[in-house]
Amino acid sequence: MTVFNLYIFDRNGTCLYYVEWNRKKHSGIASQEEEFKLMYGMIFSIKSFVNRISPSDLKDGFSSFKTSRYKCNFYETPSGLKFILNTDLNVGNIRDVLHQLYSNIYVEYVVKNPLCELGQPIKSDLFKTKLDEYVRNLPIFATKTN
Amino acid sequence: MASILQRQKSSILDRPLSKGKAEVNLSTFALLFSEMVQYCQSRVYTVPELQNKLTEMGHHVGVRMLDILFLRERTFKREVKLLNMLLFIKTNLWKTLFGKEADKLEHANDDERTYYIIEKEPLLNKFISVPKDKSSLNCASFMAGIIEAVLNGCNFPAKVTTHWHKGTTFMIKFDESVIARDKTVDGR
Amino acid sequence: MSRQTVRSGDPRKVSAELFTLTYGALVSQLVKDYENVDEVNKQLDKLGYNMGIRLIEDFLARSNVGRCHDLRETADVIAKVGFKMFLGIVPTVSNWSPSGDEFSLLLDNNPLTDFVELPEGQSNLEYSSILCGVLRGALEMVQMEVNVWFVQDQLKGDNTTEIRVKFIRRLEDAVPVGED
Repeated sequence: MTVFNLYIFDRNGTCLYYVEWNRKKHSGIASQEEEFKLMYGMIFSIKSFVNRISPSDLKDGFSSFKTSRYKCNFYETPSGLKFILNTDLNVGNIRDVLHQLYSNIYVEYVVKNPLCELGQPIKSDLFKTKLDEYVRNLPIFATKTN
Repeated sequence: MASILQRQKSSILDRPLSKGKAEVNLSTFALLFSEMVQYCQSRVYTVPELQNKLTEMGHHVGVRMLDILFLRERTFKREVKLLNMLLFIKTNLWKTLFGKEADKLEHANDDERTYYIIEKEPLLNKFISVPKDKSSLNCASFMAGIIEAVLNGCNFPAKVTTHWHKGTTFMIKFDESVIARDKTVDGR
Repeated sequence: MSRQTVRSGDPRKVSAELFTLTYGALVSQLVKDYENVDEVNKQLDKLGYNMGIRLIEDFLARSNVGRCHDLRETADVIAKVGFKMFLGIVPTVSNWSPSGDEFSLLLDNNPLTDFVELPEGQSNLEYSSILCGVLRGALEMVQMEVNVWFVQDQLKGDNTTEIRVKFIRRLEDAVPVGED
């Protein structure tokens, strides 16, 4: 199992944070901003369409999609923060992992840090370190299995 | 208007003083403190100015905390000895505010007027990551203000500053007069 | 040397006195910085709003509350979960407007105002108006626009402290650029 990259968007579509671990190939999209915009747009569309075609009211809504090569995991808070973690295919439901990332890392080190402005890209080193530590210690991070 | 004036206000003095066991969520406090830091930051230009402002606000808390501690802990007599005063801060004040003693109390080797209270991870700094361009900023200055007000209120005039050293070090520099007085008290 | 005040030592809690006095320090700083009381009230509300948009994240992260279905549920969650979690008190929800878009939160005691007495000449100071800002900010983050104000305040000699909340409208998620 492995983790490729992570995007955090706020509800205005601003990419607050992006980080990659074992992402070996890039999208080839000219600028990173453009990639963020496309990612947010795709998630936004999937989310709203998935809700629209649902036969009954969805509880958690869209949570992941798979391709033959990777899995895109999505978690959204009621305040509209969106966490998108791309992993390989062996990773199961990681809603809890993303919720933990939100509550133990984002809330603790961004929300409670007076020097982090909300709605702006996160520059805090403390957040960066804690996030990296958290992800690297996840069982799903192990790179040399299979 | 008349009816408002006639309404009997229950005076704050009629209510019993709390026992000091009440607690609030750390997050609530952290967020309030965070707003305070940001507010101060919006009104000043430099890091030292920001720290001064926080220290000033700490005074407000320190003066009142001292009254509360004296009133509540009635057996507590006013400290006249410097070391006991410092221990009071390290132990009683810290425990009341943070539920624990301060990590360390040290005396400077080269200056008898200077003492250090060292706290490895002050609660006030728990959530703050200082950006590189402001690396000297230490928001625990607020605590320095509390200490300073308590010392001044007990007639131990001193200046307290905050430093990044072994975590956070509060450097307490007493007035000459305090040291001189302490020696005469010792001499008895 | 003295009796120790024993607190629970829970690392997720902090002395209520430290909190109350710190808030007092903030208010008195504002009173010093702005000569006009209305401006102080406005600033407190603004600082509250800034707190609210952060506090809601902490709330969502630590409570298992999902989206509320209506205002009644929201009111209940604010009082029984929100106030309890952050201030350790549970206000009473009451005085619903006939159309169900307005309600009051009644506070028996307000931790912000322990040790506080309004000085002469400051009777227009809305000492706790930070709470209005917090509610407004927090609810805005879960897509609800509301108006919040104080109806009664024990600090001003009223029998109870009453905060009024009026629902204005539901806010929509931002649509990405170039989408319909």
